[in-house]
This record gives sequence, structure tokens and C-alpha cells, in this order.
Amino acid sequence: MSVDVVLPELGESVVEGTVARWLVKEGDRVEIDQPLVEVTTDKVDAEIPAPESGVVVAILAAEGETIAVGAAIARIDAAAAADAGAPAPAPAPPATGAAPAASAAPRATPAAKHAAADAGVDLGSVAGSGVSGRIMKEDVTSAAQAVGAVAGSPAAAAAASPVPPEPTPAPAPRASARASGGFDEDRARQQFGRYTLQEGDRVEPMSPLRRIVADHMVYSKRTAPHVGTVTEIDMGGIVEVRARHKQSFRQDHGFGLTYLPFIVDATVRALREFPVLNSSVVDDAIVIKRDIHMGIAVETEKGLVVPVVRHADRLSLAGLAAAVEDLSARARNKKLSADDLKGGTFTISNPGRQGNLYGFAIINQPQVGILRMGEMVKRPVVRELEGSDAIVIRPMMHLALSYDHRAVDGAPANGFLYRIRELLEEAEFDL
Amino acid sequence: MTPTWQSRWLGTVRYGEALELQKAAVEERRAGRSGDAMWLLEHPPVVTLGRSARPENLRTPASALQARGIDVHEVARGGDVTYHGPGQLVGYLVADLAARGAPDVTAWLRGIEAALIDALDGLGVPARRIAGMTGVFVADPDAAAAAAPRKIASIGVGLRGWVTYHGFALNATMDLSGFDDIVPCGLQDVAMTSVAQERGEAPTRELFDACRRCVEAAFEAWLG
Repeated sequence: MSVDVVLPELGESVVEGTVARWLVKEGDRVEIDQPLVEVTTDKVDAEIPAPESGVVVAILAAEGETIAVGAAIARIDAAAAADAGAPAPAPAPPATGAAPAASAAPRATPAAKHAAADAGVDLGSVAGSGVSGRIMKEDVTSAAQAVGAVAGSPAAAAAASPVPPEPTPAPAPRASARASGGFDEDRARQQFGRYTLQEGDRVEPMSPLRRIVADHMVYSKRTAPHVGTVTEIDMGGIVEVRARHKQSFRQDHGFGLTYLPFIVDATVRALREFPVLNSSVVDDAIVIKRDIHMGIAVETEKGLVVPVVRHADRLSLAGLAAAVEDLSARARNKKLSADDLKGGTFTISNPGRQGNLYGFAIINQPQVGILRMGEMVKRPVVRELEGSDAIVIRPMMHLALSYDHRAVDGAPANGFLYRIRELLEEAEFDL
Repeated sequence: MTPTWQSRWLGTVRYGEALELQKAAVEERRAGRSGDAMWLLEHPPVVTLGRSARPENLRTPASALQARGIDVHEVARGGDVTYHGPGQLVGYLVADLAARGAPDVTAWLRGIEAALIDALDGLGVPARRIAGMTGVFVADPDAAAAAAPRKIASIGVGLRGWVTYHGFALNATMDLSGFDDIVPCGLQDVAMTSVAQERGEAPTRELFDACRRCVEAAFEAWLG
């Protein structure tokens, strides 16, 4: 059946528009939502999308012509879409396949459902890439192409029979796949990214926090080329300082002194000497930040959060200890505010002792480095004592730095990490 | 989750690049993968021709402009011809009008004008609309001077479905001689002015930053 494309009501005082540019011509096949024409009104250029998939059978207004709101500017024959030479009335099974999908939780956008019906693709087999796993039109298009690709083999030909010979208008050859060395995201997702639920599986929809972490982690790995470097630190000096002051600290401050404030202090001092680790990549510039706001990653019941110690460089060791203690307590009690989580310039992660010799954390965007603490373990190491080598037992800890190689090269990264080691091994802290 | 409103300062971005960024952002917005956003930036010198542009509004031929290092771009936005350059605060708004309630593009344009008028108020420059002309003009108490209105901000918007792109250009501290090569927005009797000119001040970076902050605050108040 034919459907008219009309100039929609764009605004209260908009009564007409001028056809600026046709993006399709008579005879073209179009998909629902595909832009058909650009129409201008005063100061607004609006792209009018196709209300249905089909073939453009008539163009009713020429470029330059002015038309009234509500007037038809083109006509689309939606029935023409279904007869793309399909042998059997193929749409029947996929269409009923699509209907239950519609009544189930909103999994597919209307555009996707139309595209699926046109292409004879079963929505149940399509992985959704939109919000909440919603199936977008692009997901259906890729699924249709994947089926078309598989249809080359004889065994697959039988399986592919419900699909009409020309599922969707063949897009231009996947230039993006060629340009990216053969990697095509949609195709890869279709091939590797799917899992069919089994009985007994428990589906836990991602919480908002989980979703944020997922977005962030993928984004960070994709944008920043991560390089890892690790050092091991003789924590003997720190162990001794802490042991000496443990009691008086608890008496003075009301909470225990851990190793973390020492690490934060040394890191802050090293950042002052290697400021490129306290920067961000913004467009094609490296912004070296004036202030040091230290993010401390904390695992809470709900998940990973990174509260920020502001102006960490202005705090004494005791001040850092107090700030870290306050943020951790508030994180555990879910009393962190949005401001507590903003503006970090570098991050330290302490994921705990068990199963953590060392590891490379993912950079907390838009920072360029993240330091991860490993467990502290007594180990035999070689030290020079009175001019000759001896084996001694020392408490050793690995510190691993992940850095963004767009902004930071190996030399400053290694220098920074080594400086932290020096400061911790010298163990000159004022307490 | 995706924030509903975000404002970002991008620094200097070439016109073509900003266009690509907007196209991608519009698709993201249409797919619901992001919230509404405003980008504030500056362009290197460029003359742009919107869909309503008439060739006679280019006083200097495109080839001569390009020879002087001024880019010329045709673009799918409303409005006629305009010029962008350093010192002009350009704002691109990618927003889903349907998601904000009854979609009305006229209301959107008026909203942009109102936010700019508020921002200019904060900068001590009294501004107003002129019925029948989209854009922001300096409000002249002197009636005679009002006959040749001075334009301080231009507006041009694109729509893809109900998602907007493009936006406005506020003459903060820019060198206005860039407009000599065109008939801005096809308006023959309009002179262009800038915040620096209206305040009788030198066009400093500090003044530009002040303009930016006032604009950010005004749009945050409207759309945040």
C-alpha cells in the first residue's frame, strides 16, 4: 500500500518549508527512518525520514519548491518492499516470530522490527546493541548480512531459505572492515558475542553502577593504549615507621594507620616530579594539570567506586590518612556525594592481598595513569651488606603502573614508578 | 547512566571536523546511547553556506577566500551565509526535542535566543530579538540607531528526525572584518558587532572566557 511522506509540523509558527535537497530519487528502495529529503524553514534545516520501508514511487515537490505543513512531498509503496522476489510468503514465520518479541519486554525498536520483517530475520536470534540490550535496526541489518554471507555454503542454503534472496539493499562493501584490518564489530558480535540461556542460568540485569563500569572499562581500553610496568618495593622502612607510630597515631586520630597513606604520599610527590602522569589527553593536546586530586579505588557492596582526595599534595601524611579513612567509611556507608567522585587526576587501586601479587589496572578516564598495589609478602632478597652480597628477608610489595602511551612514554613512566620506590624505601615521612 | 545534559568546551576545532563530530553525536542521540549535549568551541576562519544561501551573499568569490586561507563549507543547516573565526564562541547543541516534551522547532530557536540574551545580560550587554529575524541583536535605547540593528549572535539549526544539531555563534571578541566578505545571513542592512565592541573593551582572552562562562550558565539554567 502507498503511504504519503508529508512535511511534519516542525514548530508552532512554521507553516511551510522549502525543499532544499532530495536525498533519494524515484525508484529508490528506502528503509524506515532513512533520511529522504532536506527541507528548510527559516534558520532550520530539517531532514525528513521515511515513515515506512518501501520504494519511492513518486516525488511530489521539486528542489526549491515551497510546500505547506501537512502537504505530501513524496509517496512510498510499502508493499513493494515485501515482494523482493521472496519465494514463499516468507514473512509469515519471522513475522509471528516478531510479534511475540513485541509483546515480550521491549527488546526491539519499531525500525528494527520492520527491518526484521522485511529481511526475514528472526528477532529472537539477534543480539541487541542498544540501551538495555534493545535490538536496533543496525543489529538486524548485520544479522541479515551474516545470514547472507553464510548462505554461500550448500548446507547453509537450506537453513537460509526463509530469507529472501536480497534481504536488505546491499550496502557498500564493508570499507570499514578493510580499513580496520578485517575487524568488523557487528560481525564479530554476531559470531562470538552471543550466548543461549540454559535452564538453571541466573540472569542478573546490570545495575546502573555495573553499566557505568562496563562502559568506562571498554572505553578506556579502546581509547588509551595501555602499557604496564611493575616494580618491587622493599617496604621494610615503612613497616618500621608504621610500627613505631601505630599506637600514638590511633590515640591521636581515632583510627588505624595503614600502608595506603604512605603510598599515596609517595605517589603525590612523584607526580610533582613527573607531571605528565597527572595529565589528560584532550583532542590533540596533553593537558598537564595544576592540581593533584587523588582517586582511591574502593570496593563497596554495590561495586567499584573511586572517591577523590582533593589537593592531595597539600595534605600531610596524617592528613592523607584521615582523608582516605573518611572517604572509605563514607563509601561503605553509601554516603559519598557526586562531588566526592569527580575531578580525580590520578588513581591508586588497592584490590587486596589475596591472589594479588601484582596486576595492571585499567586507566580511570580521562586520566593517563593508574597505580595498583600488590600484596606485601616476606621474601628472600639480595642486599649488599658490608661490601658483599647477602640474602635477607624483607617485606616486599609489587607496585604496577598502567599508563596511556598517547601521552606518556616509557622513560617518564619508569622514572615515575622508580621515584615512588625510592621515596618508599627511604621511608622519610613526617609523622 | 547517560546524563541528561552536558556542556563541553572543545577548544579550536576545524569546521569539517566539528561537523563529523556532530553527525556521530546525532546518531548516538537518536539511538538513545547518550543524553543532550552542548559543545562550545572556536573555528579557524571559515565561511559557511546554509541551505538557504544565495550566491550573491558571498561578496568575495569562494576561490579568493580559500586562497587567503579561509575555508568555505556548504552545510545542511538553515540560514544563509555566515562567517566563523577565532574569538567567536560557537555552540553546537545536539538535543532530542521529542524527549523533552512536545517537539517544536520554533520553541527551540526562541529558547536558544533567550539563553543567549540572558548570557549577554550577565555580560552587561542588553540584547533582544527582532520579530521576523532569527538571531540576537543589541537592544538600542536610541530609536534612530535601531533602524540599523547590530547583530551579536547568529543562529542556524539542523534537524535529523527530532534531534537537533548546529546552534549558534556569539561574537565575543572576534575580529569583525571577517564579515566584510559576506552579507551575513543575507541581511543587507545589518551590521555585526561583538561583546568586546559593545563593552568598548579590548578583545582579550579573559573576556572570551567570561563570555563562555556566561553562556554555559545560561544554557545550563535552561536545559540542565
